[in-house]
Amino acid sequence: MITIIDYGSGNINSIGNIYKNLKIPFKIAGTPNEVTGAEKLFLPGVGAFDETISKLDETGFRTVLDEEVLVNKVPILGICVGMQILAESSEEGILPGLGYIKGKVRKLDEALLTDKPKLPHLGWNSISLSGSNALFENIDPKVGFYFLHTYYFDCSNIDDVVSNTFYGQTFASAVSRENVYGVQFHPEKSHRNGIQLLHNFAKI
Amino acid sequence: MLRSRIIPCLLVHKKGLVKTTEFKDPKYVGDPINAVKIFNEKEADELMVLDIDASVEGRGPDFELIRNLAIECRMPFCYGGGITSVVEAKKIIGLGAEKIAISSAAINNPLLIKEIAKAVGTQSVVVVLDVKKKGLLGDYEIYIHNGKERTGIKFKEILKTLNEIGVGELVINSIDDDGKMTGYNFKLFDIARNAVDFPMTILGGVGSLDDIQTAINRYKTIGTAAGSLFVFKGKYKAVLINYPNREERNKLYQLQR
Amino acid sequence: MNVQYQICTNCVMDTTDSRIIFDKDGVCDHCNDYYTNVQPNWHTDERGKAEMVKLVEKIKKDGEGRDFDCLLGMSGGVDSSYLLHLAVKELGLRPLVFHVDGGWNSELAVHNIQVMIDKLGLDLYTEVINWEEMKDFQLAFFKSGVPHIDIPQDHAFIATLYNFADKYKIKYILNGGNISTECVRNPMEWLYYGTDMAQLKDIMKKFSTVEMKTYPFSSILRHKFYLRYLKGVQVVKPLNYMPYIKEDALEFLSKEYGWTPYPQKHFESRFTKFFEGYWLPERFGFDTRRVQFSSLILTGQMKREDALKKLELPAYNPETIDEEFDYISTKLGITTDELRSYLTMPKKFYWDYKNYESVFNLGAKVLKFIGVERSIKR
Repeated sequence: MITIIDYGSGNINSIGNIYKNLKIPFKIAGTPNEVTGAEKLFLPGVGAFDETISKLDETGFRTVLDEEVLVNKVPILGICVGMQILAESSEEGILPGLGYIKGKVRKLDEALLTDKPKLPHLGWNSISLSGSNALFENIDPKVGFYFLHTYYFDCSNIDDVVSNTFYGQTFASAVSRENVYGVQFHPEKSHRNGIQLLHNFAKI
Repeated sequence: MLRSRIIPCLLVHKKGLVKTTEFKDPKYVGDPINAVKIFNEKEADELMVLDIDASVEGRGPDFELIRNLAIECRMPFCYGGGITSVVEAKKIIGLGAEKIAISSAAINNPLLIKEIAKAVGTQSVVVVLDVKKKGLLGDYEIYIHNGKERTGIKFKEILKTLNEIGVGELVINSIDDDGKMTGYNFKLFDIARNAVDFPMTILGGVGSLDDIQTAINRYKTIGTAAGSLFVFKGKYKAVLINYPNREERNKLYQLQR
Repeated sequence: MNVQYQICTNCVMDTTDSRIIFDKDGVCDHCNDYYTNVQPNWHTDERGKAEMVKLVEKIKKDGEGRDFDCLLGMSGGVDSSYLLHLAVKELGLRPLVFHVDGGWNSELAVHNIQVMIDKLGLDLYTEVINWEEMKDFQLAFFKSGVPHIDIPQDHAFIATLYNFADKYKIKYILNGGNISTECVRNPMEWLYYGTDMAQLKDIMKKFSTVEMKTYPFSSILRHKFYLRYLKGVQVVKPLNYMPYIKEDALEFLSKEYGWTPYPQKHFESRFTKFFEGYWLPERFGFDTRRVQFSSLILTGQMKREDALKKLELPAYNPETIDEEFDYISTKLGITTDELRSYLTMPKKFYWDYKNYESVFNLGAKVLKFIGVERSIKR
């Protein structure tokens, strides 16, 4: 069963509604022990890096996540800041991330942006896939997805980058390594493409 | 390439959708839920729904309606009208909206913006400024309570205040152009564009996709909102929900950069 | 008393129409009525063309010096869409085109109306029914337990139609109704008259909670007698004067206008989709596809075996029905439990409430006698 982690960050209901309409069973995990035995994990996230990672620690989810993801190899999808905390660390804060995918979260370079408003990166932007990935089957890359963020994931291994997006610079809009996936954009707010991606994740 | 957002702005009055002219004479346009569903099916970039009675009547947001609308949206949904507290803002985000819009409350107490931002994140706080030309010098001034109350606060003044506080998005609503469908008032919007750095959305007066095209060419990255354009059709103002399809949208973005 | 199940050997109407009569060959009265009364008088060849030319001349003459010469209501459905094309592009008429928004428009309907209006360069009028009133009216019908819960939607359309005719003094109403796809009519037991004010008033009296301040009402006396016989307003069905093949019309509209077909007839309205696809079959066992397919069978556009095959599958999409059920209840402002309670409550029919059926039947007989209507709706 798809398990959406509710640790106090991110819009759980929107993701749930999509799965409800797709008739794919899911559950919302409000406590860490509800995570054990999950077939797939969803990690939403909104707000600042340190704040988000702290919430994960405080609610006790971190330990159980490490077990499920690193040991049991349960597929996990991080969305927006949920993707960023998969990294080792962030320029935005001082706390260490989950470290499931090697890299550091950095601020998008304002100097490379010409028009106002520079940050955050807000709106619909296209993606460019580096190779095929089950997560992006039947997706229209030109239409892309809805983004709303100021920081991005700078991967240590270029192989971990699944898709790129351009905003003043080219940055990773989706990353993945083994059973860990992360998307910078909001699939739950990206119409057809988003619904398809969520559907694809359920089928992985 | 990042695309400018094209945003239908819907007004709710007595539980129904209406379109106004200069914020007056609401014309009934139909059921909000079905309209939102259609915009969702047309894959609109974003959606903004504003309750124009709430602050006037001194009541809070219609949570039931918000829940029913948010459930239909697979795109970012912004709700405004009658929000005066952090509790209300949090509840609305919890019901599935991405952003909350405040106007009267923000003007009366700009610090509320910071408080709400702390609870839901700056990116989710939208401030709507209803602006009208007034006075001997034809200065732009802020109005609240659905254009009924003149605050005397100058547009340029409030922009300074907001710049200091920091806001997720600023919506400039031109009262004089509301419902006229004669084009955007760029003079007004230029003032804001030059004064603030955060995301901006312009609203009021759009008559055709050409107006949106002009706005995108002028500002490159901007939110272009419209009410009448997406709800009316033709010279008899027949009510027919419409929104540019993919092809039409691509044309609008092409001249960018 | 349990009626033995029987299905017509010619079309696919069966005993879910409780008043159906079969002849010795197992052919139903719908078919026989068509062969006897309708088909012999239905001309789509040179005779039909000649009649149409005469009619168009009359319409044009009546409209001389005025903005519009006829009236056309668009639902976004294939018949009214094709009729619009025909009227404007081939017959050279100048219709006042309007659309009634009852609150349930599907995105497809809105899209289809738009592409036609845009390409034909026409100006559209709309009448938006107050949703709070419509909602309560629809709920009243749900609570009454009768099958014909689409009347609040239908009636608004008919009343608006005649209001426009009256207001703009237009004599000719173009109607997309056609023998080709509608020669078999829905039994009255399934879908009763939408303009029987006695029925409407009785149901409203018993179950309405909101005052109908703006909802458009029209009595049959008004439009079938006052407007028709005193003011000379008449309904014409141009699609009956020419060969009208549904598949061809769909393909043409698609190519020419970018019109998108619906999964089933009447699906331009989310409510009608639910009503005909789920509610009627599940609650009453009435499947309006039988009527539609039977019409197509009689006019040679569908094979009986294909119809039977399609009827084996449900009329609704099992993948999306839960979502639709949720949407219908949300929009009506009730819980899904409440909606389900209406689905399972004891069945009622039009005769359980006040009605002018006898008046209607008399009127229909008169009209048939004087040759205005061909077949009897029963």
